[in-house]
Amino acid sequence: MKTWFKKGEHWIWMSSASVAVSVVLVFGLIAMISYKGLIHFWPHAVYEYQLKQGEATETLVGELRDTKLKEFKNPQTGKPEHISQYLVKMGNRDLYGIDFRWISGSDLISKEEKLADNIVVIERYEYGNVYGWLNQFAIDGKTYQGDKDIESILAEQVQKGSDLHAEIKHIEKIEIGAVNYKLEQLRLDEKRLRANHEYDDEAKVKLAQERAELQKEFEQHQAEAQVLYKQLDSLGELTVKVSGGQSMQVPVRKIVEFWQPNNMSFGEKVGFFFHGIGRFLSEDPREANTEGGIFPAMIGTITMVLLMTVLVTPMGVIAAIYMREYAKDGPLLRTVRISINNLAGVPSIVFGIFGLGFFVYIIGGSIDELFYGYALPSPTFGTPGLLWAALTMALLTLPVVIVSTEEGLSRIPRSLREGGLALGATKIETITRIVLPMATPAIMTGLILAIARAAGEVAPLMLVGVVKLAPELPVDSIAPFVHLDRKFMHLGFHIYDVGFQSPNVEASQPLVYATSLLLVIIIVSLNLGAISIRNRLREKYKALDN
Amino acid sequence: MSENNVSIVMDREDRKLSLENENIAIEVKDWDLYYGDKRALHSVTMSLPEHRVTAFIGPSGCGKSTLLRCFNRMNDLIDIVSTEGEMTLHGDDMYSKDMDVAALRRRVGMVFQKPNPFPKSIYENVCYGLRLQGIKDKAILDESVEWALKGAGLWEEVKDRLNENALGLSGGQQQRLCIARAIAIKPEVLLLDEPTSALDPISTLAIEELIFELKKDFTILIVTHNMQQAARVSDYTAFMYMGELIEYTDTDSLFTNPKVKRTEDYITGRYG
Repeated sequence: MKTWFKKGEHWIWMSSASVAVSVVLVFGLIAMISYKGLIHFWPHAVYEYQLKQGEATETLVGELRDTKLKEFKNPQTGKPEHISQYLVKMGNRDLYGIDFRWISGSDLISKEEKLADNIVVIERYEYGNVYGWLNQFAIDGKTYQGDKDIESILAEQVQKGSDLHAEIKHIEKIEIGAVNYKLEQLRLDEKRLRANHEYDDEAKVKLAQERAELQKEFEQHQAEAQVLYKQLDSLGELTVKVSGGQSMQVPVRKIVEFWQPNNMSFGEKVGFFFHGIGRFLSEDPREANTEGGIFPAMIGTITMVLLMTVLVTPMGVIAAIYMREYAKDGPLLRTVRISINNLAGVPSIVFGIFGLGFFVYIIGGSIDELFYGYALPSPTFGTPGLLWAALTMALLTLPVVIVSTEEGLSRIPRSLREGGLALGATKIETITRIVLPMATPAIMTGLILAIARAAGEVAPLMLVGVVKLAPELPVDSIAPFVHLDRKFMHLGFHIYDVGFQSPNVEASQPLVYATSLLLVIIIVSLNLGAISIRNRLREKYKALDN
Repeated sequence: MSENNVSIVMDREDRKLSLENENIAIEVKDWDLYYGDKRALHSVTMSLPEHRVTAFIGPSGCGKSTLLRCFNRMNDLIDIVSTEGEMTLHGDDMYSKDMDVAALRRRVGMVFQKPNPFPKSIYENVCYGLRLQGIKDKAILDESVEWALKGAGLWEEVKDRLNENALGLSGGQQQRLCIARAIAIKPEVLLLDEPTSALDPISTLAIEELIFELKKDFTILIVTHNMQQAARVSDYTAFMYMGELIEYTDTDSLFTNPKVKRTEDYITGRYG
């Protein structure tokens, strides 16, 4: 035993144990997020529960979402007992008022789980899901009875409905959006002309004319949309029987999708699973972010991160070149270097405050006064937005880029610089043609770290541009394509908002995990992209390492 | 191989070498160099002849490399170095204030001890200096690359893979590539700082033959630790010791009939 300690075996065991714990934690985290996030898309089986309610029995239909044990004191024996509690998603919020309910195992008549046969789950645009049985479908005075008939006509009509919804969305968002944008520009034009005292009769007439044209265009689009809305209304109406014997009318225009989870084969479930993931990624959020997809948040995150990369790379690289290649070594340079290293440890919320105070209010305010004075008091850049968020993030990640670039520059062998200089290159030519290309793997390493940090940050973003629900994407097809002044959505903030600010916690919980999973995947794939570029570059220059 | 060696010897026997009969490329007068407070070169005065190979020999730390790096102002890169004295290249003061250092280095090329090709293609390595001068014409570049690689005796080996990375070449080839890179910009003087110390004997021989060829076009200054090499390739030899120029004359005289005791001790291997 003594020799065991003397050889240092206990140290080896301790270090391997801590490595093992770390590995377990990392993989545990990924496994949990993946499981909880992905299970959301799997079609849950729907069960029927018979409950004792005094003398009567109550039937409850829904998905089992959670189980936990609760300790009770048995009134007869006085001993503690454990009784299962079940969280059931029963939907039909407009009918029952709540769509999640905890039920106690002691109230269950039968302990066995019973699948509800032929149950239909209908996802609606509003008020969540409906759980019930197909009863009849009415369209144009005709009624369909019988499950098979209803199913086929319903599927057809729902498909038509979602096509119409897509068309309406296109008209309202893209076409009317473009008209609105132009109208807004006209309004600003008018303000500008007024401010410059150039708003004479000629301009007045011209503006009025343009405005009238746009107004006409707007009305035309609105009329088109109205026609489509009419068509939506005439798609028919479904009647479902819900548990408790009541029946419920669901017009087709309110239906997103319907499925029969208990009748699905495994293959169909897999198909539904991937279909669900696709919808999650491509749709806008609904119902205060607790339903629907996260497409805008994803686009916002990616746009912000890419913009940040574009901003931080030149700043960081140029600063590092100056410090490594030009600045004279001395106490001043050492102080600057220490400050930069410490900047990396400043809490991110501090950067957020700085971004709000300096970028948004001071710089943005000045820009507004100088260039957008006609639009005041409504601010253009003097309000949180994409540009300021990206700049704040660039500032936050600057130390990382500077430090790793400097490290890369210091690793370029002296002999290569001399080789360049000996051929008649000036210092700057040697730096740009020899040194900098060879330092790119190190710069990429810095950027990888910067991207990982910026994509995951939430606190400072809340102050400088991220919102719960952005009406427009920060990138679109209207020039200048990337709208630096717009507010945007961000996955990190979306997680916080859905998880902690939502009125319907149980409904949104799976979305929190799914969004977290997506955030992790985006960060990992941005990193993998950068890492693979770095490795290719390293391969190119690897002969230098020996 | 041996034929060439014979020809080297023959060439030397043909004429009587003497500094008085030569055109002078670089003139050095009372040259001092300090590393901070430490004096590394003690008033060196010498004339370096045009189109000849001049070798610098001496024990490690004697200042021969330091002196060589003065000829293209490579020592400027070290902050603590300061110099005194006069140095002219074909009459131009190399250390005057208006001398453009980059232009000077185009006139005085240099090849280093360890091959240092850039991590680019062979072609790009050779035309690096030309591109710096703003030459973009593909025909001129192609021609210069071929000329330089032929001049460095590398053309036959690499002509089919000019676009491959230069780091894939062997050590000897890399060193010849560095020579090609240096001569591509047609300098007046070529400085070789122990160009063969990192190479095997066969590559060394190839470089030595190359030096013999190159002296037709360039003035060559070579620093070497290998006295046989100095004797084989150079026309003139300078022996340095402790930062001083001890003896400087034509190679034959220096090796066969050294005037100074220290030179004799060194070349006979008594120290160093």
